[in-house]
This record gives sequence, C-alpha cells and structure tokens, in this order.
Amino acid sequence: MDFTERLTQDRDRLVDRWAELILETYPPETQQVWRKQKDRFANPVGAAITDSARELFDVFLQWDDGERVAKALDQLVRIRTVQNFKPSQALCFVYLLKKVLRETYMKELGQCGELEALMSLETRIDTMGLIALDLYTQAREKIFQMRVNEVKRAQHNLLRRARMIVDSPATGADER
Amino acid sequence: MAKMKPEELIQGLNYNPPSTPWMDLKADTSPGNWAYPGKPDIVSYLKDEGLPVANPREWVPSDEDWKLPPNWQDIIHQGFRERLDKYRSLKVFMDICVRCGACADKCHYFIGSGDPKNMPVLRAELMRSIYRKDFTLAGKIMSKLTGSRVMTEDVLKEWFIYFYQCTECRRCSLFCPYGIDTAEVTMMARELMHLVGLNINWIMEPVANCNRTGNHLGIQPQAFKDIMDFMVDDIEEVTGVRVKAPLNEPGHEILFITPSGDAFADPGIFTFMGYLILFHYLDLDYTWSTYASEGGNFGLFTSSETMKKLNAKMYAEANRLGCKWILGGECGHMWRVINQYMDTMNGDIQGPQMTTPVNPITGTVFKNAAATKMVHIAEFTADLIKHGKLKFDKSRNDHRRITFHDSCNPARAMGLLDEPREVIKACCNHFYEMPSNTIREMTYCCAGGSGLNTDEIMDIRLRGGMPRGKALAHVQEKHDVNTLSCVCAIDRATLIPLADYWAPGVEISGVHELVGNALILEGEQERTMDLRQEPLKGFEDEV
Repeated sequence: MDFTERLTQDRDRLVDRWAELILETYPPETQQVWRKQKDRFANPVGAAITDSARELFDVFLQWDDGERVAKALDQLVRIRTVQNFKPSQALCFVYLLKKVLRETYMKELGQCGELEALMSLETRIDTMGLIALDLYTQAREKIFQMRVNEVKRAQHNLLRRARMIVDSPATGADER
Repeated sequence: MAKMKPEELIQGLNYNPPSTPWMDLKADTSPGNWAYPGKPDIVSYLKDEGLPVANPREWVPSDEDWKLPPNWQDIIHQGFRERLDKYRSLKVFMDICVRCGACADKCHYFIGSGDPKNMPVLRAELMRSIYRKDFTLAGKIMSKLTGSRVMTEDVLKEWFIYFYQCTECRRCSLFCPYGIDTAEVTMMARELMHLVGLNINWIMEPVANCNRTGNHLGIQPQAFKDIMDFMVDDIEEVTGVRVKAPLNEPGHEILFITPSGDAFADPGIFTFMGYLILFHYLDLDYTWSTYASEGGNFGLFTSSETMKKLNAKMYAEANRLGCKWILGGECGHMWRVINQYMDTMNGDIQGPQMTTPVNPITGTVFKNAAATKMVHIAEFTADLIKHGKLKFDKSRNDHRRITFHDSCNPARAMGLLDEPREVIKACCNHFYEMPSNTIREMTYCCAGGSGLNTDEIMDIRLRGGMPRGKALAHVQEKHDVNTLSCVCAIDRATLIPLADYWAPGVEISGVHELVGNALILEGEQERTMDLRQEPLKGFEDEV
C-alpha cells in the first residue's frame, strides 16, 4: 500500500484530529462551547472548521486542481482573517495538518526509512499555505476597500446634492 | 545544524493560545479594537448643554495613559451606587445570574470571534465582579472565591473594549431563563464610563448634531428641503408623477418621522422615495418635519438623560404642528426607544391634540399605540394591504430575489415580525426565508447597532456579522437570493459590507423601496426602471 492510499484509508481519523487541532487555536472556554453546538447556523465557525478540514484533506490527497484548493481554503481563511489573530496565527491551521501527519506516521516511517513519502507530501501543505496567504491578502485588501467605500457612500449624496451640511458643533469635524 | 528529533519538529508547531484565566488576561487595546474617542469640542459642547458627559480631552485608547480624572474610581463607585438605587432592574441583573451558560453562544460577537469575553455571561461578569467587590458583603471579604475583583485601570479598559462590542441587540436575553436584559447591563456600563470621559465619537457626534439641528448628520432645514426636492425629481423621472412632499406644514393629521440616514445615503434614499410614493398614492393628510428629522436616537447608547432629551423633539414637533399622531419610518433602535421608554420618559409632554392613531384609509384603530401615539410604517402598510387598499405590480420587483433580515429592535423590542413579511410578499414574487434560528425573535444582529457602525472597527463588525452573513450565504446558494431587505436605516448601511464579505453579490434594500417600485400610481408612465434607475426585468436594453 503506498502512503497516499494509507492516508485515504485513515481519512476520517486524520480529518477529525486536524479539525480538533484547529479548534484548539481558540481559547479553552470557547472550545468547550463550540464542541457542543452542532447546528451550523448557531456555530458557523465550528461548522466551517469541520467542513474545511474534510474538503481540504480531499484536495490535498487529489492535488489536481489549484482552483479547487483555493476554493476549499477560502471559507476558513475568510473567517480567520477577521478574527483577532495575527496573520501567522490566522493561517497556522494549514500547517497543523503537518502536525497531524507527523504525530501519526513520522516515527514509524522514520524507522523503516520511508520518511521521504511523508516529506514529499508535506510540500503540498507548504503550497496550500502560500495559496492561503494569497487569499488572506485578498480578504484584507477587500476590507480596506470596503472601509473606503463606506465613507464615500455615506457622504456621496450630501456632497453631490446638498453641499450645505452644517459642521458639527465645533469646527474640524472631518479632520482626524 | 544539529539533527532534530521528530518530537522536536512537532513541538515547533504549537499555535494554541495561552490558558490564562480571563480575569488575569488584559484587554487588547491595540488599534482596530476600539472606535475613535469623542472629539474634545463635541464632548465639551454636550457637557455645556447639561448632558452627563465628562472630561473632554484628546486621548487615544492604545496609549497607556487614558487621561482619567484622578478620582475616577470614586466617580465610578458613586455612579454605580446611584444606579443600583435608581434601577431595581440593575440590582436584580447583578445578583440573579447563576452562570448557567444559556446565553454563552448566543451573541453574534462571540459566535464570530470566539473571544470568551464576548459571551454575554462573561461580558456582564466584567461588571458583576466589581459589583460583588464593592457592594456585597461576601465579595468584600472573600475576593477570588466569589469572583469579585477590585476596580483598576485595566478593568476599566476592559469595560471600554467589551461594552463597545455589544450592540444591545438582546438576542442573549431571549435565551436567559431569568430574562436578564444584557443590553441594560451594557447601557449602565456605558453610562458609568461617560462619567469619567470614556466615549466614542461615532455616538457623540450624532448626539451633538441631533441636539442642535434635529438629525445625526447636522442637515439644516434648507438642505433637508433640497434633498427632498431631488428625490421628488428622481421619482418623477422613474414614474412620471410629481409626488407631494409636505414639509413643516402645520394642521395635518399625521407627522412622519424617519431616520435621517435614509435622506442622504445609498440605498436608504430609495426607501425614502418609497415613503413619498406611498403617501402620495394615499393622498395622506401628513407632513414631514425638518426639526424632528431624525427617528434614530443615539441617546439610547449614551445615557437615559440624553435619550430622553433627544426623544422629546418628536412630541414637541407634533404639538407645534398640531398633529394628532406620529407615523414612524423604518428604523431599528428608534422603535426600542419608542416602544419601551418613550411613554415613561416623555408621555407627559404629549399635547392634548394627540389621539390614539386611526388609519384614515381603513379606519383601523391602532390600540397598541394608544400610549405613545406612534405607529410603525410596516404596521400601517400591512393594514392597508390587508384591506386591499394598495394596487401593486409585483413584476416590477422580479429582478429581486428577496430574503428578510429582522432588525433586532423591531423584532425583539416590539414584536414586529409578520408585518414586514406581509408587505414584502404583497409586492414581490420571490421571497425566501433564512434558517429559522437566524430570523424573527432569534434574528442575528447586523453587528453595527448601538453606535458601532463605524469603519475603524470594520474587522469587529465583520466577525460579529458572520452569523447573519452565513445564513445569508445559505439562501444565496440555495435560492439564488440577491437582495437582503430590512426595516432599519443602520442595517441599510452596515449590511452592505457584511453582505459584500460573507455573501458577495447580495444587495441591500428597505421594505418601502420595494413598495415604491410595485405601487401603481394614478397617471404614471410605463415604468422601465426601478427607483435606483436600474432596468426592470424585460427592459434591460432600454435604460
């Protein structure tokens, strides 16, 4: 059995473990609550973690379509981009798959001198991390753009039509 | 390089957060976690007006020194004591929570952020821990054991960060077995912070403007008139009919008041046009006012005194113009103020000319509004529809596949659940509900309410808006929904980035924009475009 086949066989166990590690990037009190709540609309982050781990694991094994990888990454990246994480923390979930694979297979593969099989697959995880970085950056740019648009939208009609708003009680209301 | 053991490689991959107990974990005051503080001149102005704000100064929350008054601890303690004496509810809310956790995962900010301090129980605990220390015997003696703690500057900073991450939406209260109104806990915390000069400009500036000119933007009467004239022109362009727009006219039966947000910002202006079209269609005996030109009341997010003062203009203007009752537009928190506080605060200034509202077209008596004399536009329009008084061409909304976002306050603070839906269904062919645990009483907040709809905290808004966004994305995927309709002016502003981020392609509209599109006016031209001047279905090539 080659290593990929073995991963396919162990899929459910590996995906569960990966999802668990992603959940553990949140504070303990939060993990406790999110573990219990299974409704996807009551617990969208929990649902996204489970769904994404499964989808990503499958594209990781198949590894035939970059667009598909990006699509599978998008949901969780989009969520973690706006959560209170540093960029590295936001994207660490990708590399947690390395942790899953190493803790499951590294010792055994090392002993029989087949570490190479694992290492070559880990390159895919590195690539997923880079795609995630692209998506993260796109999301950040979108947020900046939305901030600008919001300010423009709020002022648009006043500037176009009225040009006669009174300043706030004191001068300098628009300075900051 | 020394050879690493496999275990060591794994150790390098640990991203877990530290498990520091919440009481010992300082709040993150870096930029992005707070809205800009009130400008000193605005705070000074409000202080001079006699409103309970204090300590106008330049300060930045990411700085170590927040420039608090030297005796700030005494001020907070005294303010807390006064409020405990004044409001029995606050004392009950401080004492009664058994920390059952029913509310823990009901807050949109918690669901979106995963930050435990956004669990309503823990957010209120930020205040309860001080209450126990300062006002209960057990707490005074046994500090940690009772979960009490001393009020320090770090605790105050934590209050500022987290009580401005509560939109006072009251979803958590719905699930609390004791009915603790967490919004009122937040209101009290914000009142206390005002006493030492902790406030945000997104709230202070609209309050100051409202106090001075009658609306949040500081639109003066002539500008308001000008904006309305433009809208009348636009309506004529779309419908061929020049609608009446009575302004500041005394002697009418009804005074109409709506949020000023709909007068200046897209897409609220299209809802504003919808009102003008509806009232013209009915030949309603009514007037707009440039003084009561704001339905919203940011006093609700400031202090009871401020809320009362800003609210009073509604009756004052009805009295000045001699109106019998007030019809109110699509707004969220405006209706919490009206439905829950207005009669208590300002009922005594209702003029003798004011009477229980009666729909002049259908004869329906709005007994539910007997105390306040104010009727919500969705009730009014739904009543007209029920009596068959409105003729619609529903196909004019066929380019829209619509779902409805229940705004927190109309839904939870006044039970306005079915009326907007009846209106939408009467004037649109394609309507789809979002999942049942995300609508009606259980609706998720837009995350921009209670004065938090400001761009510098866009990340906070987006994560708080995630539960709504995910439910929206679900109906977008399942039913190809392209329009999120709502009855709140803040929603119309804040749902735009929310939808853009979580369900790109979905547009936001007010309910009366849809009414305005579908309503068949006497003498109108064939309509080829909607109020946004975008082509109707079948006229894509003509506009």
